[in-house]
Amino acid sequence: MRRKLIAIIAMLAAGMMLFASGPQEAPAAGDGPIELKFWSLFTGGDGEFFDAMIEEFNSSQDEIHMTNDMVKFDDYYTKLTTALAAGTAPDVIVLHQARLINYVPSGVLLPLDGYVSEEMLADFQAAPLEACRMDGSLYAIPFDVHPIVMYTNRALLEAAGITELPKTAEEYSAAAKAVKEATGQWGSLIDNTTGTYKAYTLTRLFVSLVNQQGGSMLTDDLSAAAFNNEYGYNALVWLQALVNDGVNPNELDYDAAMNMFKLGEGAFYFNGVWATGTLEQTEGLDFVASPLPAFMGESAAWTDSHTFAIPVQKNQDPVKVEAAISFIDWMTGHAYLWAKAGNIPTRNSVLEGEEFHALPYRADYAAAVSSVVANPPTAAWGEIYETLSDLLEAAVTKDADPQAALDGMESTVNEIISRY
Amino acid sequence: MIPGNRDIRDGILFSLPFMVVFALFMVYPLVFGFYISFFRWNILGTPAFLGLQNYADLFRDEKFWSSLWHTVQFVLMTTPVLLVMGFLMALLVTGKSPLKGLMETVFFVPYIFSMTVVATLWAWIMQKDFGILNHIIRMLGGEGVSWLTSESNAMWSISIATYWWTAGFNMVLFTAGIKQISKEVFESATVDGANALQKVLHITIPLVKPTTILCLILQVIASFNVFGQVYVMTGGGPAGSTRVLIQYIYETGFSYFRMGYSAAMSYILFAIIMAISVIQYAVLGRRND
Repeated sequence: MRRKLIAIIAMLAAGMMLFASGPQEAPAAGDGPIELKFWSLFTGGDGEFFDAMIEEFNSSQDEIHMTNDMVKFDDYYTKLTTALAAGTAPDVIVLHQARLINYVPSGVLLPLDGYVSEEMLADFQAAPLEACRMDGSLYAIPFDVHPIVMYTNRALLEAAGITELPKTAEEYSAAAKAVKEATGQWGSLIDNTTGTYKAYTLTRLFVSLVNQQGGSMLTDDLSAAAFNNEYGYNALVWLQALVNDGVNPNELDYDAAMNMFKLGEGAFYFNGVWATGTLEQTEGLDFVASPLPAFMGESAAWTDSHTFAIPVQKNQDPVKVEAAISFIDWMTGHAYLWAKAGNIPTRNSVLEGEEFHALPYRADYAAAVSSVVANPPTAAWGEIYETLSDLLEAAVTKDADPQAALDGMESTVNEIISRY
Repeated sequence: MIPGNRDIRDGILFSLPFMVVFALFMVYPLVFGFYISFFRWNILGTPAFLGLQNYADLFRDEKFWSSLWHTVQFVLMTTPVLLVMGFLMALLVTGKSPLKGLMETVFFVPYIFSMTVVATLWAWIMQKDFGILNHIIRMLGGEGVSWLTSESNAMWSISIATYWWTAGFNMVLFTAGIKQISKEVFESATVDGANALQKVLHITIPLVKPTTILCLILQVIASFNVFGQVYVMTGGGPAGSTRVLIQYIYETGFSYFRMGYSAAMSYILFAIIMAISVIQYAVLGRRND
């Protein structure tokens, strides 16, 4: 009994300390900097670069103080959506461009046209900025573009006597085989199995390859799947062949693929540009990052983009909106810091700046941004993307009949579209 | 009745704090969930009435049936094993072993860990390329096993983690059941010359039957509600082969924001669990009285 009593008193004391420390954090309104809240979803290798930027922003001026709450990526959109519904969202949020379509029609994001100056907008690359416009209004500001790129282990390629990066699908398969034969290491590390993440790399490559041949994932009116044809067939068969030929491991998940590439156990690896910063920090790894080769015709690469948006609040404070725009202006204008993680900046002044050019690889693959594939602007795309990852995983890891697999993918996608 | 007290008024007063919380966080969501299952709703927009469309869609949705089947698989894989394990553990800790205090702790400790901790731990242990389990297998000269990334193993691997995690709970229930059996029964059996096995088979097992039924019903409900371990360990993979129904409900509701459809599935799962519990209770419980 006495022990219980002590425990209860201890808990009460701890609780009181919690409450006591609460009010000290928020200074009285009126004086001091404008307090802004931000939610970020950067928990991977890019998280530390992002936090460093926020810190630098806060110390660069004393009018605005930004507090960053990191939310686990898996839960981010769940938390954000419920907060938007409840009207308790933070002052600035980050959204993937592909997700804008899920929020804009509900009117939860503030149209930014009246707030952002023309000269600031003129500094942005046209394509990523246009992707943030819907029905003529601007709902977000692009922070980066992050297409899928190819990472190559130079040492393994040298050991196999290969001097040039592969330019076509055939060259890639041949190089991967040569590496496997010469070194005994894997030629190709395309993750194809659900682990921490689904087999997104398969979907990203599939989307890229279909577009490289001139196809697209959905019909122009976004009402049906458009990949069940020779384009989809070629892409799927190539992905399957790498596993069947024994140059790419089967049942390989995202984390394992990344780890194996870091350990030098594979020659080629595909991931979004966000992996560059992490790979650079790996000691003893001699690699090069390059735009996704035009494996099947023209250059085209799956991409997405992180964008900043301002939620509509119950009592929108214009001062906070102005401050939020200043924050966005600073972040996008200093995006060479963000490029350290690997991401590609969106403003011309940054892309042409010295700081950005001093970083390796980025300038190379930044040029490839012109050939990125935009995500289909439909609310169903999120579910299609996730579902295709499962279906491609099954098709590749179990070596399913490619035509039957494509038929199944097509009917599933059409069914998903019909439900939105 | 104590003079000055009014039972009804005091009863209401004392239960009010609980009733308010219960109504707000249990009754209201239950009713609202049922209501919204007849709508198309993405949380942010206005709900659009669909009638029974969500329920009709659900019966044609292959993913719903496969997810339900995976849940049933998990129930079948875990329930019998967890009951037997719990019972055997209870026998050990109620026996005469000098280590029984230690065993009781060892068996029960995993249960106090949170699901995330247990699932993350096992996901790393069973990782195909860097996990300690495959490391040991390779040291012994074997081939690494694809514990979580192959369709034939993944659900079993999740089940193994679940055995380790939750068997201790059933042990506690069985221990309580065994301790309730009066010593005289065992003593007279000893006098009659029954050996340990005979005592377990003919005394312990029949006399803990009420506990067994309780464990069975609780375990089936718990296993039907499986989600966390699967979500953390395999994410429903490989290729959706371990996606359980709650995970599909979660994804539909909170990743794709199709709340109405998600709610409709929840109510079907509710009906299934309810039906199974009633049947279990009716079939197993009756003979006991």
